[in-house]
Amino acid sequence: MTPRERFLAALERRPLPGRVPHFELVFYLTMEAFGKVHPSQRTYKQWKQMSETERQLHRDEMAQLYAQTAERFGQDAVMLHPNPSDDDELFRLIDNVNERTGRSVALVMHGDATYGIPDGERMTEFSMRLYEEPDAMKAEAAARVERALKKGERIKAHGGLDGFALCSDYCLNTGPFLRPAMFAEFVAPYLKQLVAGYREQGFYVIKHTDGNIMPILDQLLDANPHALHSLDPQAGVDMAEMVRLAAGKVCLIGNVNCGLLDTGTEEECVESARYALKHGMKAPGYVFSTSNCIYTGMRLSRYELILDVLRKEGVRPDPATVR
Amino acid sequence: MSAEEIFEKLKKSVIGGKRKDVAALCTEGKGAGIAGKDLLTKGLLPGMEEVGRRFRCEEFYIPEVLVAARAMHAGLEILRDELEKQPAAQVGKVVIGTVEGDLHDIGKNLVAMMFTGAGFEVVDLGIDVPANRFVEAAKERGAQAVAMSALLTTTMVNMEKVVAELRKAQFKGKIIIGGAPVTKEFADKIGADLYAADASEGAESLRAAMAAA
Repeated sequence: MTPRERFLAALERRPLPGRVPHFELVFYLTMEAFGKVHPSQRTYKQWKQMSETERQLHRDEMAQLYAQTAERFGQDAVMLHPNPSDDDELFRLIDNVNERTGRSVALVMHGDATYGIPDGERMTEFSMRLYEEPDAMKAEAAARVERALKKGERIKAHGGLDGFALCSDYCLNTGPFLRPAMFAEFVAPYLKQLVAGYREQGFYVIKHTDGNIMPILDQLLDANPHALHSLDPQAGVDMAEMVRLAAGKVCLIGNVNCGLLDTGTEEECVESARYALKHGMKAPGYVFSTSNCIYTGMRLSRYELILDVLRKEGVRPDPATVR
Repeated sequence: MSAEEIFEKLKKSVIGGKRKDVAALCTEGKGAGIAGKDLLTKGLLPGMEEVGRRFRCEEFYIPEVLVAARAMHAGLEILRDELEKQPAAQVGKVVIGTVEGDLHDIGKNLVAMMFTGAGFEVVDLGIDVPANRFVEAAKERGAQAVAMSALLTTTMVNMEKVVAELRKAQFKGKIIIGGAPVTKEFADKIGADLYAADASEGAESLRAAMAAA
């Protein structure tokens, strides 16, 4: 099986012997690893002014970076951050990366359209509108889903992308931003509609959110994504508990403690990776991942440390060879 | 309506986030000759205190706190002119910001709201605030407290620099810190006076510390 096939098998919760698949929402340390700025951190102000030759050099270099990241760190899927982000450049990027990997690595990109936690400046206005203009907020939520699914249609027509990561954050460490009843009113129906629409288009759907998801876990599962991502232990989300509650319904991705990768000891990092693996591997669908991403400022050596744990301990026996 | 009835209705309207009702009640109270300070301390602030309590025990979620704070602001607008003539109505001035390198403002804004709700005048420096700006603002604005927030483990270390700069500048007020990765142990280690696990606790503990000072 190719890495892509293994990743998709995990999302479908099919039996998967061998090394547990691995995915990171973003690997930002491309400068340290490859001497190049991550594509999402670049600003191409003069993109349209460039000659086609120069544009193609940039496209090739970004595509190569995604392919290199997947290969070097054993990532079975990569998250694309098209830059520039118009359809034409997105399609070129999909084709370019697939060509370099021989379609052996799964490709996903952002695709959320639901209301997440607004930034601080918009938070009060957003909250006020929920109370004072509920119908308008719901109409807007529906329109956002419709726009996202229209884009999904265009991507489906082009082909080459495997799925979407829905990255609207719903929760803080203490719990959901919205009261669960309000989440049920303003978010859950649209999340469900979005996931169903993407599924109908043939895409896989990974729902990401930071924070303590437990009070809205039932609603997240009811939306029927292929996978839940982050499972943040800093917010009290426990992998053993998630396996017990959700492994029969969704693939589990994450739970290796990003905070520890920053501030913990090496032993604590290894222990966190071991804990996620130990329990995650009991789930029919499980992908090894940190509880957020490999973000700017993190030590590359810490990422390599947990990958070492994955290589050594994240291997399921092949039933054919076990007597 | 008696003064007591207006205070009670103000409190309930703040808790329910009814900004139009709060504004109308403050207008009515002023018209009836009730002192602005009383409308603030017997109606608006008790309402926000209750909101803080409910938030602490997880009965209220953030949007409910925000709409309550907005309702209280609507009342404060009506009372502004009168209250500005009575500085004693405010419990103190606090400079707040997210530390250098950190662009997150959700927690910081929530804390600012709760400080306002607790009767503080808040000077919000925004995000990615270098140490010298905290020091300058505290000095220029005559603040009695400085509050710092950080979301990232990689940026919370900058709090230590701010504390050191404030101490070097002989800032005599309280320094309070918070944010997802921040702990009481960390606050003690860098020499902050107070640590708060959430926005509501921040407002409560700062008010208590100021009252005790």
